[in-house]
Amino acid sequence: MNYPVWEPFMLGGGLVIGIIAILHVFVSHFAVGGGLFLPLTERKAYRENNPALLEYVKSHSKFFVLVVLVFGAVSGVGIWWSIALVNPEATATLIHVFVWGWAIEWVFFIVEIAAAFIYYYGWDRLDPKTHLLVGWIYFGAAWASLLVINGILTFMLTPGRWIKTQTFASAYFNPGMLPSLVVRTAVCIALAGVYALITSSAVADVALRNQVIAYAAKWLLAGTLIIPFAGIWYISTIPALAREISMGGAPAVTIFAGLSIFFSALVMAFTYFGPHQRPRHFNMVFAFLLAVLALSTTAVTEWVREAVRKPYIIYGYMYSNGIRVSDVERTREVGLLKSARWVRHHEVDPQALERTGEEVYRVQCASCHTVDGYNSIRFAVKGWSWAMIDYQLAHLSSLKGFMPGFVGTDAERQALGAWLASLNPVPTNIAIEPASSAVRGQATDATGEGASQP
Amino acid sequence: MNPVIPAPVPVPLPAPPWLLEFLLVFTFVLHLLAMDFLLGGVIILSVSSFLGRHDSGHHELARRVSHALPPVTAFTITLGVAPLLFVQLLYGQLFYTSSDLMAWYWLAVVFLVMLGYYGIYWYQMQHDELGTRAAWVMLSTAILFMLVAFIFTQNITTMLHPQDFYRLFLNGQVGTILGSVTSLNIARLAHFVVAAAALAGLGIALLSARWRTESPELARWGRRYGVTWFMGATLVQFLVGLWFLFSLPVEIRQSLVGDKLAVGLLVSGIFLALLGLLMAPRSLLAASVAMLGAVSAMAVLRHLVRVAYLRPYFDPHSLAVRGQWVVFSIFVVLLLAGLATVGWMLYVFYRPAARRA
Repeated sequence: MNYPVWEPFMLGGGLVIGIIAILHVFVSHFAVGGGLFLPLTERKAYRENNPALLEYVKSHSKFFVLVVLVFGAVSGVGIWWSIALVNPEATATLIHVFVWGWAIEWVFFIVEIAAAFIYYYGWDRLDPKTHLLVGWIYFGAAWASLLVINGILTFMLTPGRWIKTQTFASAYFNPGMLPSLVVRTAVCIALAGVYALITSSAVADVALRNQVIAYAAKWLLAGTLIIPFAGIWYISTIPALAREISMGGAPAVTIFAGLSIFFSALVMAFTYFGPHQRPRHFNMVFAFLLAVLALSTTAVTEWVREAVRKPYIIYGYMYSNGIRVSDVERTREVGLLKSARWVRHHEVDPQALERTGEEVYRVQCASCHTVDGYNSIRFAVKGWSWAMIDYQLAHLSSLKGFMPGFVGTDAERQALGAWLASLNPVPTNIAIEPASSAVRGQATDATGEGASQP
Repeated sequence: MNPVIPAPVPVPLPAPPWLLEFLLVFTFVLHLLAMDFLLGGVIILSVSSFLGRHDSGHHELARRVSHALPPVTAFTITLGVAPLLFVQLLYGQLFYTSSDLMAWYWLAVVFLVMLGYYGIYWYQMQHDELGTRAAWVMLSTAILFMLVAFIFTQNITTMLHPQDFYRLFLNGQVGTILGSVTSLNIARLAHFVVAAAALAGLGIALLSARWRTESPELARWGRRYGVTWFMGATLVQFLVGLWFLFSLPVEIRQSLVGDKLAVGLLVSGIFLALLGLLMAPRSLLAASVAMLGAVSAMAVLRHLVRVAYLRPYFDPHSLAVRGQWVVFSIFVVLLLAGLATVGWMLYVFYRPAARRA
């Protein structure tokens, strides 16, 4: 409402964030888990006096630097870029609450990056003890950066006491923070295994290759064993509505939640029967398939985590369309178009009912919907008359619990309905006009125009 | 038409504006130092890579300097995060609006940076395998980073003109509105690019000193080459800087002339740059210190120009403040501890004894 709305055509803002975020999560958790894998495996090589294993760790560290420092770092900035574009109001709020949290995370990033380069360039320059210490410094800083950002992420779903106190401590130490930290740490360990399986399957020396593959599989199994327990703990802390949505309330979300469990189980089974039991038969193709499966798990899980937060972006404080709960009453009285800054019509224009309605859509609905692409609104209202649409809009939050209620005047709601009705051919044999139209008289126009649309 | 500006967030600022302004400018200077070496570095290495096809000195210099670029890229990005955080805190409603208007271009920055970053690694890791094609890889990287610089200049300049926001909105499609490319914007971009070439020249001269023992001739030549870039670009900068200064709207220039601090900063910035120019052939260290002073003075002046631009529309000092002092103190302590850790790691890495047998 406060900002111009960018509509990334078929994708919609949510998917733009989603694509960048999922790829980032898949790499950034490796940045932490891999940070544990490197010094532990290096230490193992020293203890076993195994120069071949040490060579493997060296080559793995090069892969690590190329993936983590470039893709991981830049995609992290990418998330920030995309959330600020798609939901500037929420981003601004988060930055006001958490700027020192982010500043602390920034310090850890600086240490992390410096340590990663010195670890990577230091193989031939540092004595083993110092080199190992630098590896531990890297891991410490990387995990600490997860510690910070994790609290900010869970804040959005479980802001807890912050709604009342508005203090940093109550915002950061929110109910979901600790269980989510355990889940994410376990994911880091599992992903360290996933990536290590890729690099280990490229090792030429067969004995070493089998040893490292079985070793990497252990990491993956250890991580995936912790995840379900920590996951149940995490789910116990989330709001009741969010749980309902993921367990039957919204079929799509439930299916994705189910897929998340199914994919995780597949990863675990493949890892156990594949690289863990039969490292000799494991190869690069299998490693990539496992990585794709792990990425799919990440994708559906992150998608569910985002979806269950609906209808909010900051639970109980701000709706997913950027409207604050506290602004709803005033906006209903004043009108959405009068409150919105980036519209061409500041009140419902009966002469341009649909165009006004489209502006209402853009301000209020476009943060989740697109017209024809992801979460298509044309498809959502297909076969609905204007009367039906208006009824749905008037009772949106009770009919569809994961959507925010409509915010605006009756005339604005009907204008939105008129535009939505115009998106599809008019259904026949049903009442097409809202029961009590605030913009009666234009009804025929609106639906009449709609009839000519494809 | 009244300017349309989004309302600031109703959550109080977590620290007084002066502190946030200080951190904004301070971290921006840190970002600039890394960014200048990176942007100027890829420009100079593009030139050297092409010359290096027939000149072993250029070839060797480009190869060696390229090893410094990946860490510099990482630090440019990371050090840039902090000022962007503080600019969003102080001027978010302006910054988000101009960003949203040009959303596609702004989002492209992420991909351009990533491509450029991989370009740098490609050049560095496969320098010999690439052969003559290496020059094209470096040139492509330079073009990618120049595009990033252009998009940044557009966004950071557009956000200073809230009076134009609504007109831009009405005349275009949100996401594709890059803002007007005026002579001011081009002068501003040129100012930054030329500064980057100068400071990267100085950086290369400093870096060459590290080759003194194993290849003294290359070290001497590298120093001369870097200093030539530094002096040439700084001389050009006096013209570009004047162009930039006189592209500023009259009222902004007048308000700066009336501000003793602004005049002082401008004069000392120019003086320090002159001093750097004179010192460079004799002492790189003295020239570097002078340029650090010049960059810092100019960064503060840049902030004053922003304040002057926005005075009619918005003043962050009018916002409510509720200081989060405990967590701020934790940040300061961790920052000092973090810098000490980085310092220690650099020490063990660069100490002469640091060579495994």
